[in-house]
Amino acid sequence: MEIRKNADLLDRILQERQISKYNYTLSRSEKQELNLENGGFKLLRTVFSQSAQIRVFLGEKTGSASGNDVSEEGLNLLADEAKAAAESAAEDPAHDIAPDQGHDVFRQGTQEPDMDKFISRIQEFLDTVKSEYPKVRIMAAMGSYDRWNWLSRNTNGTEFEGFGGQYHFSVEMCASEGEKTTGLDYTGFSTVTLDRPFIEEGDLRRHLENIQGSIYPETLQGKFEGTMVLTPDSAAQFIYMLVSNYMTDGVVIDGTSLWLDKVGQQVADEKLTVSLKPYDKRIVMGQRATGNGFRAEDVTLIEKGVLKTHWLSLYGANKTGRPVVKNTGSDLVVEPGTQSLEELIASIDKGLILGGFSGGNPGTNGEFSGVAKNSFLIENGKIKGAVTETMVNGNLGEAFRRIRGISRELLCDGGSVMPYIAVDGIVISGK
Amino acid sequence: MLQDLIGSKRALFADNVQTVLRGHENRVRRVVLLKGNLVQNQRSGGRGVSARVNNQGVYGFASEAEYSPEAAEKVIRAATENALALGKHTTKRIALPPSAGTGTVELNRGIEDVEQKEIIGLCREIDGYIEKKYPDLTSRTVVYYEDSQDRIVYSSDACCGHLVTPRCYVYVMMSAETKDGTPVELFKAFGGFGCFRDNFTDPAKLYPGIDGLYQRLMDKKEGIYAEAGYKTVVLGGLMGGMLAHEAVGHTVEADLVRGGSVAGPSLNKQVASELVTMVDFAHTVNGETAPLPVYLDDEGTRAEDAVLIQNGILTGYMNDRESAAEYGMRPAGNARGWTFADEPLIRMRNTCILPGKSTVEEMISSVEDGYYLIDSGNGQADLTGEFMFGVTCGYEIKNGKLGKALLDTTVTGIAFDMLKTVDMVSDTVMWSSSGFCGKKQPMAVGMGGPHMRCKIMIGGR
Repeated sequence: MEIRKNADLLDRILQERQISKYNYTLSRSEKQELNLENGGFKLLRTVFSQSAQIRVFLGEKTGSASGNDVSEEGLNLLADEAKAAAESAAEDPAHDIAPDQGHDVFRQGTQEPDMDKFISRIQEFLDTVKSEYPKVRIMAAMGSYDRWNWLSRNTNGTEFEGFGGQYHFSVEMCASEGEKTTGLDYTGFSTVTLDRPFIEEGDLRRHLENIQGSIYPETLQGKFEGTMVLTPDSAAQFIYMLVSNYMTDGVVIDGTSLWLDKVGQQVADEKLTVSLKPYDKRIVMGQRATGNGFRAEDVTLIEKGVLKTHWLSLYGANKTGRPVVKNTGSDLVVEPGTQSLEELIASIDKGLILGGFSGGNPGTNGEFSGVAKNSFLIENGKIKGAVTETMVNGNLGEAFRRIRGISRELLCDGGSVMPYIAVDGIVISGK
Repeated sequence: MLQDLIGSKRALFADNVQTVLRGHENRVRRVVLLKGNLVQNQRSGGRGVSARVNNQGVYGFASEAEYSPEAAEKVIRAATENALALGKHTTKRIALPPSAGTGTVELNRGIEDVEQKEIIGLCREIDGYIEKKYPDLTSRTVVYYEDSQDRIVYSSDACCGHLVTPRCYVYVMMSAETKDGTPVELFKAFGGFGCFRDNFTDPAKLYPGIDGLYQRLMDKKEGIYAEAGYKTVVLGGLMGGMLAHEAVGHTVEADLVRGGSVAGPSLNKQVASELVTMVDFAHTVNGETAPLPVYLDDEGTRAEDAVLIQNGILTGYMNDRESAAEYGMRPAGNARGWTFADEPLIRMRNTCILPGKSTVEEMISSVEDGYYLIDSGNGQADLTGEFMFGVTCGYEIKNGKLGKALLDTTVTGIAFDMLKTVDMVSDTVMWSSSGFCGKKQPMAVGMGGPHMRCKIMIGGR
């Protein structure tokens, strides 16, 4: 697909239909994906993709259509579908497109992969696991290289084009001895270079060490109120839950957010600062343009515990009269604390290191309840053994107001930057 | 609907390998009304062609986002090259699995589209009903979601055929506030297999269900936290279905068995109470079409039922062709991909624990101090069978009677331990099919279960 030629064609198709306000994104991509099963190469997958996403406006009515047939016939059909959807909609002046952002071309990552080196790095990782973590079984692993090109335009004059390419590696592992097997653990990272052995990337080593130490977990008896140390993985999970429960379009538009009128106020412990930083060097493929058509920006959501803004799209902002956040990505960065992880753990009388959280989606009241996965008990400042059939219960808002400490150590997996976060007042229960 | 543009390219299948060529189209219609505001109004779809080649246990796969004879030719060549290239990086070789049959599976039904204005009209009518009848709600959301799959499969040594799987739902979500201003929510899905006009000819048919949802939300407004611990519960039928899928179903998918799941050493052993029998139905249940029928899978295997647990004994796994040969079982058509760009993985279809003989009333009245857990928002499980379900709707049981509603909580347990505690099973089954199962790719699945009395860990304050 010649993407620019298709964009010109799409402009003509939309203008022929007397549609004077629209935005669209055309993209094409190629994926080379190597799948491994039980430590061996299993499947090599090549995916050629293309797509077109159109949003059209008829006065204050809007409709969207998307598809992957970008032939002239396909684009005509898509324009008809989007127009028909808009004709069926009710008028709503809150729907809009971003004002003119000018023209720009974004180039990220690597467009020329070294697949031989990539395969060598994967094989090196497997060999290292076999020799250093003999009880760990790499059940499945996936190494992929993705390359893409996209172009978006809107009728206010913006034209952005992006070229990108990155490697991604993820593993699914367990550990076993005899018939005794742990549960599953997952981790992964994204990168644009192959300079370092994969075992040193992301949080792979910690996951391997933890899963190997989890073959004989203890069942916790009774319940207690204690401290939950969120690992970087589970911290990311909890921060996303916090953000979506209190700060996003749905809960702000319908007024159910418990932080509806809290902008400028303390909503969390002053140790917590949460930002979206698409231009941070630790973020491999930060967002460059939003779905609304804005040039992406760095945004601080919570600074020293103070809510700086809700995380609203252009529609959410127009609907509620609040500011739009020019970032719809997932480039989350949480600032580090002053203590080491070791010091944090040493300060805890009784608690749990939460490797993963498997739980119901918290309601808008923030109540959460779920199973602690790949988790370890802490007693008197020391890490005891792994636990099973253990649940953690609490409230998102309360938990982040009771931050005991945030670690100096940070995990950078290419997608986000997260420390360990210890929160007090969590009900931890067993059988 | 897809027309057959690719069958002639079978001539390009290489010798001494197994090749499957698939044309595949996914279509989505989505409308979201949030408090009456149309926040999503979308029609989308994608079609393309893929090929997978098995070269003695290593696989090549390629897909192209274009449905044409030229694209079919391209992906057959690319998948064959990938399989041969990968073969150079591995010394392990597995004999090609035998064919479980050849022939043609005929197209099962059609897909009928409707204009977006009809969908929006339905959502507006439902939203209007809720707004007028229940003005005290703090928020309401009405979502229409439809997805359909249309696939044409050609296999070098198995069956060929054409299968369509449309499904559509209306999801109603309601929010209210407790006396202290804390929000509580509930949701319910309406609809099932088929297209818009199969399921939504008259919005009024949904109103009794919406009224019931509102009543339960009012109960939840006065709800209490569950007491954390190991409790006797009556799991409702929807929870029973979630248990069948999450806690047991995933552990008996043969790729996870191969990876070390608890089901590996448990084959032919007692893993549940004798009251428990579990089947992954292909397309027909008790003479009627299953919630999401599958007649042919993406390896060209004609779909059959897979009996997984018989009277408490683990009797089988869900397989693809390779794992079936490995475990000495017959493939039953569980290998499926979600889009044209997805390779087939072992997936569930309509996984169900079969009914027993008790009535729900008998079961509730038999519990002195416990919980009745009715509906779940989500669930997960892992290799050990340790599972988690979020509970969105439930009641306490005191002296055989339903008491106060529960606020959201979570239950957990080890499946094969928990299933041994099942001592009553209801005589009816409830099905759901509106969710997605996630395993590298999403997949539409049906899950069904009876009410079951058992012991389970419940979270709470």
